[in-house]
Amino acid sequence: MIEVKNLVRTFNSGDRTIKPVNDVSFVLEQGTLASIVGKSGSGKSTLLSLLGALDKPTSGDVVVNGVSLAGMPDAKLTEYRRRDIGFVFQQFNLIPNLSAVDNVMLPMEFAGMRKAARQQRAKDLLEQVQLVQDKHDRRINRLSGGEQQRVAIARALANEPKLILADEPTGNLDEQTGDHIISLLSALSRDHNTTILVVTHDRALANKTDRRFRLQQGKLTEEPVRPRAAVPVTA
Amino acid sequence: MSVLARSVGNAFRNKVRTAAVVAVLAVAIGLALAMLVANQAVGAKVQELNASVGTVLTVNPAGGQGFEGGGEPLTTEQATAAAAVPNVSAVVGTSSLRLRNATEAAAQAAAGQTGQGGPGGQGGQGGPGGQAAATLTTSLTAAVDAGTLGNRNQQSNGTTGSGSTTQPMRSLPITATGIGAEVDSTGKALTIAEGAGLGDYTAESTNALLGTTLAEKNNLSIGSTFTINDQAYTVAGLFDAGTSFGNNAVYVTLPTAQALAGTPTELSSMIVTVNSLENVDSTKAALQDALGTDKADVTQGQNLETAVSSLGSVKNISFIAFVAALATAGLIILLIMVMLVRERRREIGVLKAIGAPNRTIGLQFVLEALVLAALGSAAGAVIAAFASSGIASALISTNSTSTTPAATAGRGMPGGVPGGGAGFPGGGQGGNPFGGASQLLTSVTASASPEVIAAGVAAVFGVAIIGALVPALLTARIRPIEVLRGE
Repeated sequence: MIEVKNLVRTFNSGDRTIKPVNDVSFVLEQGTLASIVGKSGSGKSTLLSLLGALDKPTSGDVVVNGVSLAGMPDAKLTEYRRRDIGFVFQQFNLIPNLSAVDNVMLPMEFAGMRKAARQQRAKDLLEQVQLVQDKHDRRINRLSGGEQQRVAIARALANEPKLILADEPTGNLDEQTGDHIISLLSALSRDHNTTILVVTHDRALANKTDRRFRLQQGKLTEEPVRPRAAVPVTA
Repeated sequence: MSVLARSVGNAFRNKVRTAAVVAVLAVAIGLALAMLVANQAVGAKVQELNASVGTVLTVNPAGGQGFEGGGEPLTTEQATAAAAVPNVSAVVGTSSLRLRNATEAAAQAAAGQTGQGGPGGQGGQGGPGGQAAATLTTSLTAAVDAGTLGNRNQQSNGTTGSGSTTQPMRSLPITATGIGAEVDSTGKALTIAEGAGLGDYTAESTNALLGTTLAEKNNLSIGSTFTINDQAYTVAGLFDAGTSFGNNAVYVTLPTAQALAGTPTELSSMIVTVNSLENVDSTKAALQDALGTDKADVTQGQNLETAVSSLGSVKNISFIAFVAALATAGLIILLIMVMLVRERRREIGVLKAIGAPNRTIGLQFVLEALVLAALGSAAGAVIAAFASSGIASALISTNSTSTTPAATAGRGMPGGVPGGGAGFPGGGQGGNPFGGASQLLTSVTASASPEVIAAGVAAVFGVAIIGALVPALLTARIRPIEVLRGE
């Protein structure tokens, strides 16, 4: 379960103070698939990075399974990111000179998993996101945008996190692969009880989530959704 | 993929940049190492000079030196008195003899000469007219041809006698020195090229050491015999003094020479070794007091001191250059590492975002820095190996030009006879260390000793580690989003 309490993040831009996240509060039960929609620059990415402990809030708190992130020292935050969070970045943020498999293996290496085990799991995950086998050992900078997106998702899943934060996960994918990713995320939340929070412009994706939030000028509002339809899983 | 494999991979990520970085590092490291090697080489030479001749005082009879001058001879009691002076670590007595070829001496006598009884005399140290005691006959022929200098010197010394007939070119006298230890007449250790030394230098013996050229001239080898005053002596060893003049000599034990001269308690000179260079001045004064200014002249290699001190300044210069080169190398490595880490801020942010602990990030960049530093050091060591001898000899040759005139002056004759050099018998008695010193100076060549290289490389690696670790950790401490957002 993730509880967000009166979260505020301000930036000083010259003599102006901007508030991309202004007093945001919500609670997500474990295993929920939720989406945040909003215009560009509405603060969606900032909110996501606060939840993922990549950034620290100006005020307010994020409580994950009863543990507050606000008072946590940096080393603990790193551990939280490694163990509990899977982050899919808008710009993928993969290590360009490493192969796809090596990139997926990185979080497992930091978690201390044995080499053989993490290699096997990395290959399985890449299969799951439908990256063809002969591209597993290809360097990231030799992969297309859509392929990199899938490697980034596989990396986010590496340590079986409780919370996956995805920034436009289907933005660079064709419709078919995008659908597959949506099914995959949906299945994860249902079968592995993983909480998934997706920032998206993709109506199709937003419509398939359990809960839908809209961020406007730093304020979060929840939109009513229809009961979740069963999504076939192809993986 | 482990941290190590990733680091090595990262080091070669951009091959052109890696090559450029390694080249810059190699030049900086090579220069620093070359300076360190030069510094070590000069330091070693200074130490060697100090150890061998820098601390040696020569005691001659007051008013006499070698075969020149006059006054009263030194005695063994004075040697005992000298040994009792504080800070004196050793006193070695010498007794010099002048040997003339027996056949030639006979021929000269037959020609109506008065033998060695010429005025002024070659054997000044025995007092006026006393030279006969120290001039003996031998079966040996001098290895040095008299030449122009020899003839001129002997004429000025009066040894050609009163006859107006021009003598044909004859061989020079040979100096035989009785020594109380295995050192030459200047106090330097003898270099035995073949055979063995004389063993106990304080007992009479029929063994002798010959200079290599002298033995060659007389067709003598180890075990051969020759005569001094019709007494047979065996060649026990051949020494190489490094100069033609120095090699035209015979060394016997001190008692042997004293017995041959018929003056068992007399010494031609004493070689006093002082325990350290700092004590040389005070000991020289103490020694002069102990022996009496009217009895003995105590001399020190003044010019040698100049040579040592100028070598010392070269050492200081090369040390400063080493420190400067090392500091430069350190700065270059530091800045390169800072740049490399800076360039990869985003990567550090990503690693942090996916849960890499700071120490993993630090380790990765340190390993990468070490790979670059190792390559740079290897290339730098090669550069140093080629450059150091050149740099060292450049430093030393500048130095030796300033000492050469001093050395020549040091070898000048007490009597002011022009020419100097080896052609004048006995001229080198007090001044020979300078010839040796200038030889040492010019022969200083740097060799890259493994310890020195290791120390330099360790310093380089230390700087590389700091240069990589500090910026990597500083970046890792920033919130990942700050780094990921970019500049």
